[in-house]
Amino acid sequence: MRLSPFRYALALTVVVAFVLATGLVAAQQAPPSWKQGQPKEMESSTLSPIAQPPAPKAPGEIPVDKIKVPSGFKVELWASGINNARVMTWGDRGTLFVSSRVAGNVYAVTDKGGSREVKTIAKGLNLPNGVAFKDGTLYIAEIHRITKMEGIEGKLDSPPEMKVVYETLPKDAPHGWKYLAFGPDGKLYFNIGAPCNICIPPDTHANISRVNPDGTGFEYWAHGVRNSVGFDWHPVTKELYFTTHGRDWLGEDVPSDRLDVAPKKGLHFGYPYCHQGDIPDPQFHSGRACGEFAAPLIKTGPHVAGNGVEFYTGSMFPPEYRNRMFLAQRGSWNRSQKIGFRVMMVTLRQGDVPRYEPFAEGWLQGDQVWGRPVYTRQMKDGSLLISDDYAGAIYRVTYGR
Amino acid sequence: MPLARALTDIRSPLAPRFARWATAVAVSLAVLAPRPVPALAADLEAGRRKAVACAACHGLDGNSTNPTVPSIAGQVGIYLHWQLLLYRDKRRVDPQMAPIAAALSESDMADLAAFFAAQRPAPPAAGPPDPARAETGQRLAATYHCDDCHGRDFAGREYAPRLRGLSREYLVAQMRGFKARTRGDLDGAMTQAAQPVADADIEPLADYIGSIK
Ligand code: HEC
Ligand code: HEC
Repeated sequence: MRLSPFRYALALTVVVAFVLATGLVAAQQAPPSWKQGQPKEMESSTLSPIAQPPAPKAPGEIPVDKIKVPSGFKVELWASGINNARVMTWGDRGTLFVSSRVAGNVYAVTDKGGSREVKTIAKGLNLPNGVAFKDGTLYIAEIHRITKMEGIEGKLDSPPEMKVVYETLPKDAPHGWKYLAFGPDGKLYFNIGAPCNICIPPDTHANISRVNPDGTGFEYWAHGVRNSVGFDWHPVTKELYFTTHGRDWLGEDVPSDRLDVAPKKGLHFGYPYCHQGDIPDPQFHSGRACGEFAAPLIKTGPHVAGNGVEFYTGSMFPPEYRNRMFLAQRGSWNRSQKIGFRVMMVTLRQGDVPRYEPFAEGWLQGDQVWGRPVYTRQMKDGSLLISDDYAGAIYRVTYGR
Repeated sequence: MPLARALTDIRSPLAPRFARWATAVAVSLAVLAPRPVPALAADLEAGRRKAVACAACHGLDGNSTNPTVPSIAGQVGIYLHWQLLLYRDKRRVDPQMAPIAAALSESDMADLAAFFAAQRPAPPAAGPPDPARAETGQRLAATYHCDDCHGRDFAGREYAPRLRGLSREYLVAQMRGFKARTRGDLDGAMTQAAQPVADADIEPLADYIGSIK
């Protein structure tokens, strides 16, 4: 069929008008990312993200005795006054580097025998959640770039400049903060989260990626990952295990957050089409079947917000703890009855479903939250540090002695 | 513990024992009382003394009469405290607030935030805008989901600041700043929310929000 010039112009106008209208409406009417996907019947919900306190709690305000651990274990307050303390990573010479998220700081914590000294080595950064250390150099991941500080441990009082490692990264704030870690292959792994609660993300988002420490060789490792801000590699199999926060507003008890394993490059974990391995997204399923995607290793519970993942390789804890995984859950906001706010442990078993049980809990008392465990880090002696970004503190768990 | 102290002053033979009991009750009440979230360990009275340094611009009780200086009376405490940190760390840039924030200690910030958050906000100075503009502004606020974050009637909530009572000039300046990515914020949420807002919509939005009684 040939269109007359008039009809052609008319058709073009209609198309252009439609594109403009839908484009504009979509842009103007997108609700804030935390509220995206909220169904009509939940419109009156008063749930919203828990605000981050602007200051760390004083030691006297931190009720460490409320934290329950299995018998034989003890918990102490190891360091406090670290505003918004998040990821912990060890320097070669025993400095603990600690990141923050909204506080914009990176800290260096040094052990002074009975007490800990905290120095702020960088501030004003763009949600610098990711820190990783290798060969004398500290790597820092902000939303939009990865940088490094060389020789930092000898210069805590006058930190060296931050040199850019990689900055070809999206700048979106929602789920834009990163976990950062060195894989067994010596590459830097980090997440690029979905820029929304639920949407069809651009191809560049909703993944775990990796890059060489010199900034070359960027590639995607795993796809369909809504937002993973914690991963680790199994000490024996060297496979990558990671947590993911599931979407909000689908219900109180669905979808479950997940623990996954990505033994090879290129797997797709379902987002946004399918949640928890078996729930097609009511709006964004796009006709895809859940069976097309990698299924979760464990459904860790709705809205629990699993963050840090770490395999235990020390010898202080009883022998059955070897190669067990600790999984810190920062806790829910999108659920009327709060859940999470604890450190779980996962025991992988050959040919059997993993065992999944609490290790440390008590930051949630009734429906009152006094702390939010976010990451763990093993110490040289085999004890376990747990960071709390809400109280701005680090706890130490020991066994025996 | 004013209750216990007041009771100690009662001059009667029974008073000492009663006072001891009252002190014990008051102490245990203090222990049981839910701590405000977050525990800022802030001192309101210290905040009142320190607030003298802010009076010239923000007004003694935080109700500013200068349209370029925001009212901070009754503002969300967490928000005020974070803003002072943002100014100190140069994540929010302003030539007047920079030196002020640089001179504040952590506890000054906590005390000041608590003090101003506890003050009663004065009604907005601006009279009602013309009804047509207000209606446009109200419609735009709904279109852009502004109150999803800022709370019903823009009274603020823990997660986002109170907007009602802020001057039209200040609202416009901040919105332009967020849109141009020159006004720093804590987690990027407001910068993102400002991106789709059309330039022509900023003034009607400010007219409406600035006039909510
Ligand atoms: C010389 C005038 C001046 C003084 C003195 C001053 N301020 Fe400000 N303040 C301003 C101006 C102007 C702004 C808005 C700046 C901007 O646009 O970022 C502001 C903004 C603020 C804000 C951010 C409010 C908001 O709604 O985002 C806070 C909080 C604040 N001031 C607290 C204080 C405190 C506390 C003191 C006293 C210790 C103080 N200011 C003293 C001029 C002043
Ligand atoms: C995603 C949630 C969200 C949405 C949607 C949102 N805001 Fe905000 N807004 C915030 C937060 C959070 C802040 C505090 C920013 C900071 O950390 O400095 C803020 C700050 C502001 C401020 C600065 C207040 C001050 O005292 O300086 C203004 C003005 C404002 N918002 C206006 C609006 C308008 C107008 C809309 C609708 C077009 C809107 N906001 C939509 C979350 C939101």
